[in-house]
Amino acid sequence: MSLIPFAPSRPLSIGVELELQLLSCNDYNLVSSAPDILRQIAKHNHPGKVKPEITRSMIEINTSVQYGYGALVNELRSLRDTVTNAGHFLNLAIAGGGTHPFQHWSEQKIYDAPRFNYLSDLYGYLAKQFTVFGQHVHIGCSGPDEALYLMHKLSHYIPHFIALSAASPFVQGHDTGFSSTRLNSVLTFPMSGRAPFVLNWEDFEQFFDRMVSTGVVKSMKDFYWDIRPQPEFGTIEIRVCDTPLTIEIAAAIACYIQTMSSYIMTKQSAEPEEDDYLVYTFNRFQACRFGLEGVFIDPLTNKQRSLREDITNMLTSIADHTKELQAEEAMECIREILAEGNGASWLRKTYEREHHLNNVMQQQADLWMGN
Amino acid sequence: MTWPTYIPQWPLSVSPALWFALALVIAVLLGEGLVRYLKLPRIVGYFCTGLLLGPAGLGLIPELPAIEWRLVVELALGILLFELGSKVNLRWLKANPWIAYTSLLEAGATFAAIFGLLIWFDVADATAAAVAAIAITTSPAIMVRTVAESRAQGQVTERLLLMAALNCIYAVICHKLAVAFMHGEAGISSIHVVFQPLYLIVGSVLLGWLFGVTFERIHRHLGQHEETFSFILFGMITIATIVASTLMLSPILALLAAGLITRYRRQRPQTFPAHFGSAGAVLVVLMFTANGLAADLSGLRENILLVLLLIIIRAIAKLLPVLALASYSGIGLRQAMALGIALMPMSSVALLLTLDTGIAFPTFGAGLGLALMSCIVILELTGPILVQLGLRWAKETPEKIA
Repeated sequence: MSLIPFAPSRPLSIGVELELQLLSCNDYNLVSSAPDILRQIAKHNHPGKVKPEITRSMIEINTSVQYGYGALVNELRSLRDTVTNAGHFLNLAIAGGGTHPFQHWSEQKIYDAPRFNYLSDLYGYLAKQFTVFGQHVHIGCSGPDEALYLMHKLSHYIPHFIALSAASPFVQGHDTGFSSTRLNSVLTFPMSGRAPFVLNWEDFEQFFDRMVSTGVVKSMKDFYWDIRPQPEFGTIEIRVCDTPLTIEIAAAIACYIQTMSSYIMTKQSAEPEEDDYLVYTFNRFQACRFGLEGVFIDPLTNKQRSLREDITNMLTSIADHTKELQAEEAMECIREILAEGNGASWLRKTYEREHHLNNVMQQQADLWMGN
Repeated sequence: MTWPTYIPQWPLSVSPALWFALALVIAVLLGEGLVRYLKLPRIVGYFCTGLLLGPAGLGLIPELPAIEWRLVVELALGILLFELGSKVNLRWLKANPWIAYTSLLEAGATFAAIFGLLIWFDVADATAAAVAAIAITTSPAIMVRTVAESRAQGQVTERLLLMAALNCIYAVICHKLAVAFMHGEAGISSIHVVFQPLYLIVGSVLLGWLFGVTFERIHRHLGQHEETFSFILFGMITIATIVASTLMLSPILALLAAGLITRYRRQRPQTFPAHFGSAGAVLVVLMFTANGLAADLSGLRENILLVLLLIIIRAIAKLLPVLALASYSGIGLRQAMALGIALMPMSSVALLLTLDTGIAFPTFGAGLGLALMSCIVILELTGPILVQLGLRWAKETPEKIA
């Protein structure tokens, strides 16, 4: 099976996917009720899509193709309300966040669908352990070569997106000290990491064919890269973000990525080089471990800054594009995260006040559902 | 040579408590065996042991004195009712009224069907109503226990707990009304027929509210230390049971209301260990074994047709409304089947109501009451298995780890 052709799409258009937690209203542990809530949601009209995920305590909401922050937030709000109403009807709570703080992986159940059963057979316990919740952002690209260019250029800023969205400090009942632990679960998969350093689509197709012929993958879906091209939609998909605690933050981060893409695609700069990736995993680790306080090393200049500082600088650099894309409100939200902390620090503060992870989870759900 | 006083005389004079203690050990071993080899719920073993060794079976253990039996059952049932109430979110009924309709329809259909059946068997109206009220019950004890043991979670589990709690409320109230009518037929003025149930409901709920609020206060200050906490809780449950009986209120209603009110008022999620710790778990074993010992199948042979019809018609009357309203209330047909089947069990609440009726009306206790007792025994034995089957069928029990 060869790679499908790269579909046309409006450059810089955005689409957001959010994986969400389904919770019992009694103890706020995860509950395997995805089939029930999906059945309930299917009874009503709503924008976008609501889909199952690998285990039955997760669902995913997808927006349609959007361009501006206002419309994106509106669609996400409408999707949130749809899911929240269905949740109330079934006595379920819904929450954002990258991990559930005290669920046990072995209690999770695989959603009964051919692809998920295949993944469960292949990956064993990793499949259940993959009950983590991420935000994926699609950015439309004018063509396949542009997509690869943008992918390699954006890879450099992956730590920005991780630090801004990080909302998974607690795992299996304990504070890990990390801002985002979710990516540690992704890293255990053999096809995770970063895309190969290939700059034109023909070479990428060759790489793909070679991988298919080895039998390791069947489609683009089998690559769990941090950023991957999605020829089906004519986009690149950024997959490193935790699901933020509110849909407003989710939309703001999507627009931050969009605006930065606009900046990258218009700025004259050097071609991507393999050497750009020298510090990739170190920077990525720093963002996961320390969030906005993490160290960010610029591979071109070798300069070290905190991620907070680097994002602040970036907001200034992309100011013109912010205006052009009418994303001021989104960047205001990003500044607020820089000033007041990301989801991980909200969760830690809440835990300090409440002393029980069940209570933290309840407030996390109330925050997401807009109660 | 005289028989030395330090060696016991033959035949040995043994305290009857020994037999009960022995039964308990056997019950627990049998329960473990059932889980291990047949994957059945433990309580089936507890109940079976009482049934097999007690007067209804081999007769190895003498009948328990009614007062002691009642003490054990009321305390253990009190714990389970409070536990049930504290797990049930009444606000859900507002968000999804279809569950309330399902519950009302299911209870109404059960009452009507059993009432009709008994009228057809030439039973007096008020007596038929009392039995029909008891038939509404879905054993809260079996529900709480089997759900805890199977570690089930999901829509069927939550609806089962909610509907068991509601059925318990309907049954106690309808039963009290029916008994009042039975007294009415015996020539008691009608003002009391109205006033008595009112007193019962308001009084029991007030007592439950007082219990709930006091418990909350104490719990907030004491924290989760299991020993302290379960000691206080059991003390409070005993006090509430005795106060309720003294004031001629319903201990069942009071403790269920206490749990429901605690849950309703609570701002933060709160989890307790199953049966509030190991002391509670011991009482639960005691209760199911004692229920087995008290099981009375003497009316079975004589009333076999009636007993079978009662069980079958009650099953249909519970299952059909659940199936009919399934899709409106947001569950699939498979889940509705599972829920309907799991609503079958009867045990302590039904047993206490039947005994109370028998005490007030000895002719009932010697006639129709015996048929009803046989029903309860059969549904207490098979009930936990049906609940477990339902929960497994609905895929709400944990998956086996490969």
